[in-house]
Amino acid sequence: MEQATGVLRGSAHDDVVLESIQFNEEIRGIMAPAPAPENGSSFTALLELPPTQAVELLHSPDCAAAAREPPCHVNTNQKPYLLDSYGGNLTFPSNAALIERAAKFSVFAGENSPPEDAARLAPTSLSGAVKNEPQETDSNPCSTQGCVSDPAVETKNERTPKRKEREKKGKGSLKKSKGIADESSGDGEKLPYVHVRVRRGQATDSHSLAERARREKINARMKLLQELVPGCNKISGTALVLDEIINHVQSLQRQVEFLSMKLAAVNPRIDFSLDSLLATDGSSVMDSNLTSMATPVMWPENLADGNRQHYQQQWQFDAFHQPLWGREEANHNFMTPEHSLLSYDSSANSASLHSNQLKMEL
Amino acid sequence: MRNQEGSSVKEEFLRKWIRGLRRYSCEKKNMSFLERKKAIKLSADLAMASTRDKTIRWSQALIANAASENVCIGSSSAPKKSSRKKKMMLMRRSRARVKSVKKEMSSARCIAKRLMEKRTRKLKNLLPGGESMEDGCLVEETLDYIQSLRDQIEVMRSLLTASQLIINPS
Repeated sequence: MEQATGVLRGSAHDDVVLESIQFNEEIRGIMAPAPAPENGSSFTALLELPPTQAVELLHSPDCAAAAREPPCHVNTNQKPYLLDSYGGNLTFPSNAALIERAAKFSVFAGENSPPEDAARLAPTSLSGAVKNEPQETDSNPCSTQGCVSDPAVETKNERTPKRKEREKKGKGSLKKSKGIADESSGDGEKLPYVHVRVRRGQATDSHSLAERARREKINARMKLLQELVPGCNKISGTALVLDEIINHVQSLQRQVEFLSMKLAAVNPRIDFSLDSLLATDGSSVMDSNLTSMATPVMWPENLADGNRQHYQQQWQFDAFHQPLWGREEANHNFMTPEHSLLSYDSSANSASLHSNQLKMEL
Repeated sequence: MRNQEGSSVKEEFLRKWIRGLRRYSCEKKNMSFLERKKAIKLSADLAMASTRDKTIRWSQALIANAASENVCIGSSSAPKKSSRKKKMMLMRRSRARVKSVKKEMSSARCIAKRLMEKRTRKLKNLLPGGESMEDGCLVEETLDYIQSLRDQIEVMRSLLTASQLIINPS
């Protein structure tokens, strides 16, 4: 097993190095450079990716299972596919699955006709690739696309100790992982290239790749959350976004409390006098009522919770005005369902809608 | 994710909620204001949670908590709430103090990490059953929770205005 790898490594090494370098160069030329993540295990790492990747992850979060093709079918012919589809639907998780399998295969001393792959790789390696190598500087520390090509990565790593240090991420010594990967990469090079979203110089073992996949998935979800919570789109920085989200959730919970209190106040019985709801259609009544609803029906005296005093002050406002829950932004989202109630005719619809629903239920 | 089923979720929630409330009113007559409020909130929360899949964690946790606590509507919740709030305030203050002490000594990365930890912890506390969730799960659950809360609030508010208008027609 190891003798074969030694032989194969020697023969295909140069070609693969050229190939990988050229690969990296092309990809980096097309991709927007992304800054290196600070901390692999936190949300801060996640926002380093360009948004398109996050969206792709979002749309294909779990197709790793679906996309388990053998990595040997991934060959250099797919390079144009990769480069074109970066802006499109590149399924990252499938790549992660492929990478993992590639890593496993390479560890177990490459099967799948390695010489054939080497032959395939050789013609595609371009001549001028070598001179690109020294030009790779720290300014582009991570292209978001790379290949499982550790010799190339390793050489660059030696040149930029800063990068190496940055990429440690507390995962244990980078050298160690590089070493292991290097051995396996000797076999892995026999396999055709797997399109991995590996940042330059980072460890390409399956664990870190899986972790990166996971982080990118989380990032995609965070973007969704940002869109959901009003006012989060403009905020940059995950900590602040999380703050907004937390505030939003708190305000929503407080609203539920408040509404349940109001409902308890409105009705002496808590089944909401369904008969009266069903009986009166209320459409004619609505118009005149809305202005009269400026003052609450009942306000209970026992406000034990200090929180509720906040609500009490707001009784001065029109009952339909959205009380300020302490955050201006929260209002904008809730105004939209509230607008339907504010406009006279749709409030009739809502009441009749509910009475219809209740009728259906009964 | 849930956009298509928006109105059906609300209808289902309303139905279950009304059903729960009716059971309450059958069991206990003449509840006090606080009892009513608690009953309303609890049945609303449970109804909302029951509209979600078994795969959604926060809803299962909410239901489980309600079942295990065997919530007594008669008991007052105010002292519990205030003590919980005080605890949270104290924890926040202590964390802030710790952070200010350590700030000079640690690198930017540690600070960022700590910030994130603080916030994820806060979020976990907010979400029912959130303590046992990790990052990815937490974000998904928060998404779903926010959407559910919004639906719940919409339905509750419309019911409130409808009943207010009915009761006070003039």
